[in-house]
Amino acid sequence: MPEETYDETVVSTTVNGRRIKKRVENRLTLAEFLREKEGLRGTKVSCESQVCGACTVLVDDRPVSSCTVLAVEADEAEVTTIEGLETEAGLDPVQAAFADCTALQCGYCTPGFIMSTKALLATNPSPTREEIEHELEGNLCRCTGYLPIIEAVEQAAARLAGTYDPDAAHRPYAGHLKEDGEPFRYVGRSIERVDAGVKVTGRARYAIDTPFPDTTHAVAVRSDRAHATILGIDVKVALDVPGVVAVVTAEDLDGLYPRFGHMVPDHAIIAAGKVRYYGEPVALVVAETRHIARDAARLVEVRYEDLPAAMDAEAALAPAAPVIHEDAYSGEAVNQVAITRTEDEPNVANTMHLGWGDVDAAFAEADLVVETETFHPALYAYAMEPYNSSARFADGYLEVTSTAQHPFMVIKDLARVFDLPHSKVRVSVPYIGGGYGSKSYTKIEPLTAVAAWVTQRAVKLDLSIEESIYTTRADAARTRVRSAFRKDGRLLARDVDIVMDTGAYVDNSATVLSKAVARCFGPYSIPSLRVRGRLVYTNTVPASSYRALGAFQVNLAAETNMDQAAEQLGIDAADLRRINLVPRGERFIEGKRPMDTDLVDDFDQMMARVRVEPREGVLQAVGFGVGANEGGAYPTSTAQVKMSPDGSALVLSGSTEMGQGSRSILTQIAAEELGLDIAKVRVFQSDSAGTSFERTTGGSRTTTMTGLSVQRACRDIVQQLLAMAATVWECPVDDVRHVGDRIVHADGRSEEFGPLIKKWYGGGGGEITGRGTVRREGELQVQPSFWEIGMVAVAVDIDPETGVTKVDQLVTMADVGFAINPMGVEGQDVGAALQGIGGGLSEELVYEGAQLRNPNLVEYRVPHIGDAPRRWDSVIVERRDGTGPYGAKGGGEGARIPMGGAIASAVARATGVWPTELPLTPERVWRLIQEGEAARAEAAGGSAPEAD
Amino acid sequence: MIPLLPTFRLSRPATLPEAFDLLADDGIAYVGGTELVAAMQLGLVSPAHLVDLKRIPALGGIRLEGEVLVIGSAVRHVEVADSELVRRSAPILARACAELGNARVRATGTVGGNLCFADPRSDVATALFALGARVRLRSADGERVLPIDEFVLGAMDVDLDEGELLDSVLVPVTVAPQVYLRHQPTEYPTIAVALVSDPEGLRVTVGAVGEIPQRFAAPSLDELDVEAILPELEVIEDLNGSESYKRHLVGVFVRRAAAELKESNDA
Ligand SMILES: Cc1cc2nc3c(=O)[nH]c(=O)nc-3n(C[C@H](O)[C@H](O)[C@H](O)COP(=O)(O)OP(=O)(O)OC[C@H]3O[C@@H](n4cnc5c(N)ncnc54)[C@H](O)[C@@H]3O)c2cc1C
Ligand code: FES
Ligand code: FES
Repeated sequence: MPEETYDETVVSTTVNGRRIKKRVENRLTLAEFLREKEGLRGTKVSCESQVCGACTVLVDDRPVSSCTVLAVEADEAEVTTIEGLETEAGLDPVQAAFADCTALQCGYCTPGFIMSTKALLATNPSPTREEIEHELEGNLCRCTGYLPIIEAVEQAAARLAGTYDPDAAHRPYAGHLKEDGEPFRYVGRSIERVDAGVKVTGRARYAIDTPFPDTTHAVAVRSDRAHATILGIDVKVALDVPGVVAVVTAEDLDGLYPRFGHMVPDHAIIAAGKVRYYGEPVALVVAETRHIARDAARLVEVRYEDLPAAMDAEAALAPAAPVIHEDAYSGEAVNQVAITRTEDEPNVANTMHLGWGDVDAAFAEADLVVETETFHPALYAYAMEPYNSSARFADGYLEVTSTAQHPFMVIKDLARVFDLPHSKVRVSVPYIGGGYGSKSYTKIEPLTAVAAWVTQRAVKLDLSIEESIYTTRADAARTRVRSAFRKDGRLLARDVDIVMDTGAYVDNSATVLSKAVARCFGPYSIPSLRVRGRLVYTNTVPASSYRALGAFQVNLAAETNMDQAAEQLGIDAADLRRINLVPRGERFIEGKRPMDTDLVDDFDQMMARVRVEPREGVLQAVGFGVGANEGGAYPTSTAQVKMSPDGSALVLSGSTEMGQGSRSILTQIAAEELGLDIAKVRVFQSDSAGTSFERTTGGSRTTTMTGLSVQRACRDIVQQLLAMAATVWECPVDDVRHVGDRIVHADGRSEEFGPLIKKWYGGGGGEITGRGTVRREGELQVQPSFWEIGMVAVAVDIDPETGVTKVDQLVTMADVGFAINPMGVEGQDVGAALQGIGGGLSEELVYEGAQLRNPNLVEYRVPHIGDAPRRWDSVIVERRDGTGPYGAKGGGEGARIPMGGAIASAVARATGVWPTELPLTPERVWRLIQEGEAARAEAAGGSAPEAD
Repeated sequence: MIPLLPTFRLSRPATLPEAFDLLADDGIAYVGGTELVAAMQLGLVSPAHLVDLKRIPALGGIRLEGEVLVIGSAVRHVEVADSELVRRSAPILARACAELGNARVRATGTVGGNLCFADPRSDVATALFALGARVRLRSADGERVLPIDEFVLGAMDVDLDEGELLDSVLVPVTVAPQVYLRHQPTEYPTIAVALVSDPEGLRVTVGAVGEIPQRFAAPSLDELDVEAILPELEVIEDLNGSESYKRHLVGVFVRRAAAELKESNDA
């Protein structure tokens, strides 16, 4: 082989100890080489800009970003990937520590973190926390809140030094007892995640890792205008590129239903007639490789005529605003919220009202009226696995693999597009690299599927992070809250106006708005209420769900309003909460579930932990907030449990595992209910052709709703086993009982499940299937199924000279009824809290003209490891008062709700000025400090230098 | 929007003469690729031919030549940070290289790549301006040596002729007390401040806020007038801050650096 040709190089390398000599394209990155040529898909790619570290591998023991380093750099070098760490003796100590500390949830960041930790410990075997933060600053994790990762690195160092003490490990356990007084065997315990092993070894497969055989690759041509009429699309040059299979445009969708949207079918699969935002897909180039598709996509020429654009809600509401959607899409929608559109506000996609009592009279009588207006910016959820999906048509049915949180909801949209029965659309979802709501409902699946339909080939569409940002964001909201108080602190009335910016399409934002409308007054008893919420189309990225949807945007106004009122009333802000929090049993919203917990007690337990650690030269203050969310979404769930003649159980559930730990929790529940060794239980999830229906995976509902259906399916199995034993033993069913992993006769005879199944069937035995369903009935008749409580407190340190704000202490409070996996609950809480800290301090999508100024992880600043709180106290309250199994309620979103407001209040207390918008970037905080000083100086009669 | 690379030719010369020949063949220097490959992925540049300098021994290594510390352009940040020689004779350069970017950037990116790319937020440039370093440039025609401030001319702008390479940086060895402080709430530093106090006086270098590092002098640490510096600064606004805020921050960090320097002097 000649050493160098023009675009290839011969590379001889050792990968995980295996010698490889190959001709490699110069343009291949090391990640592409490892993942696509060598099949080592454990290495993950996310930001593609050397910031996130998901792609970290070692080249001659040096950590590198394989997303950017060329494959040829492996030449004459040794490459180590996550797959190369495990030995015959088992997991590498770093892998073991990550698994043990639950330092992973979705697991997408995990291979990179483990490789970076390997590099760190090789040069510094006993790093301090500061050193860990410094060396891992280039690894992002969006799920865990980093603190468990820091613990894992410390544990790994101890394992390597031989000083690790497994008994000293953190394993929260409340010691709940069963009805018979015995302790539970699996539930209520901090067991290791069942997916930890595959995730620390890089064996976990995500949608991005599972293309169909012989697939083509698609790349979208995207609008470079905010709002424009499409005059024509010239695809000829692109089509002529060798390797291009097709260029799909809206014209090719003839005969299909060309839009999607579960609430309003307003979302064009491919822009037709006009584009409504910068980044909208206008055409899709399908080719034999992604490189060819990308190169050809640049050759597609789109001619536009610009239309005036409305880049924010204010502009869209202005009298002469351009109309973004001419159509009202009265077509079939799969929604629960009635959508209203009016002629006089053509860009308002929906208006909602909520209220009771005589608000005006209450304000007239009030001793104090406090008004607060805040702006919550648009956010990017940054699930580390970007949106991606694969599609193909086989034997007349459609198969799709994707990152969807709700595969069964995606089926509805796809079935409508192709006019197929649901039974002929299969959506399967492997592990998901983070969702946080941003992967709920349909995203790019229709785009992929229409390409498969046009080409009759398998198609894979992988978005970059920038494209993902241009796919979905969280709604921005302007919220005005007026509150009427009696001088003793009682809330008499609240009057709230919300304007939410949903971007170019509604997606799930009608739900976001309905949550905002119902959450903006807090879990407070309010005699009179008036809320108006409007959802406004703009020429920006479509907005939709993101963890604690709707609630966190408006909580900022609602809770800072309470704090301002406390100041003006001369009542302690914590006491003002205690006075107004809804007591257990009070039906504070007509028709909804009465408050199902003791909020004041929760609040007191949390506040008892808050402690400012005095530090010289910094401004310090405490902030806290409360919120409650309707938990559980609509209570529909189904599950099946199949038991084989060897007595093992396979749980089939349509819920997805995106990091939140559902697979572990459902495994724990099934093992507990069946009395089986947990090693004999497997949970298989989210494949519509193999698992039973699950409505959605969101709204913190899996533990409760899916947990209930799995519990019921297991109980159904037990009933069947009892009946089978009675048949086999020819005795009345009353004579047999379920004890542990066997069925026992009153006379002492007993049989394990497997042999029993064999005896009952005869021959080689068969299989039995238990079914569990949950529907809106009984305890779940009143909705929501439970109130998900969100309470956090923070102690912040502010550098008075720079405005840099650091959360020094975080206190989370999880009111989960019964923590099926307490470590999992803590992980969800700190993860949600850290996302809230990001929203509070640094995250914001910024538009400049038609396009975003920061559509990348370099400029959109999510929290890094150094932004994790220095101290974290976790309170888990378990009163076993939930509607889920064992009295459980859901968790996972709560801590996200009040974080922005808590940080804003802490900053206000430290600076003396109330912030009106997030994030509280260093410069904004510094300006608040200046304003506060100026105001104080003026009040004192002097004058202070002004900030400009 | 999709960071896939275009095709290109790659050469990996082992000597400088070979490198110059290859550069003449439509080539562009390539070392760690942390900037170059990234720029190609973003579609900002699409060079036809990358000439890898990593296999040229002459461009590697850190050594003393008399009173001058010579750092090869292909030396990676980690090597600078870990070098006892640099830590002793140019401590703020070692510190800058230990703190910049992230662990992978430090393990891949090079001093030469950093300087030649000339990002306004370069820590390497700030430290080298502060230390009064020079650069040695080489081409097929010979070599020239320039003071650093005649090499780094502006944002993404260096005095490098076609076919010319940065060979090494030349740092005068000094025992002058020095301090390096960076302020980095986001991915790149918002501000970097270097103070070097030698018998001639105090040199204040402010990096990251303008297109290139900016130098100011004071007769001594005690006579440093921070307020006099601030109006002179050129400041670029970006998502990390407005002009007035950054100007204020410079004052804060110069004062903090001065306090740190004073403390180390007293110690
Ligand atoms: C995520 C990230 C964060 C970063 N943060 C920081 C930071 O905080 N502070 C900081 O200072 N820097 C930072 N950097 C920049 C980093 O230091 C540089 O990317 C790196 O040093 C470039 O070196 P390289 O070898 O990879 O250059 P390459 O990418 O290989 O080359 C860069 C450019 O220099 C040219 N070039 C390289 N060597 C020579 C030579 N010898 N002669 C002539 N031309 C040459 C190339 O042609 C190319 O145009 C960051 C980079 C990234 C990706
Ligand atoms: S650093 Fe390579 S994918 Fe993020
Ligand atoms: S576990 Fe780290 S990103 Fe999900």
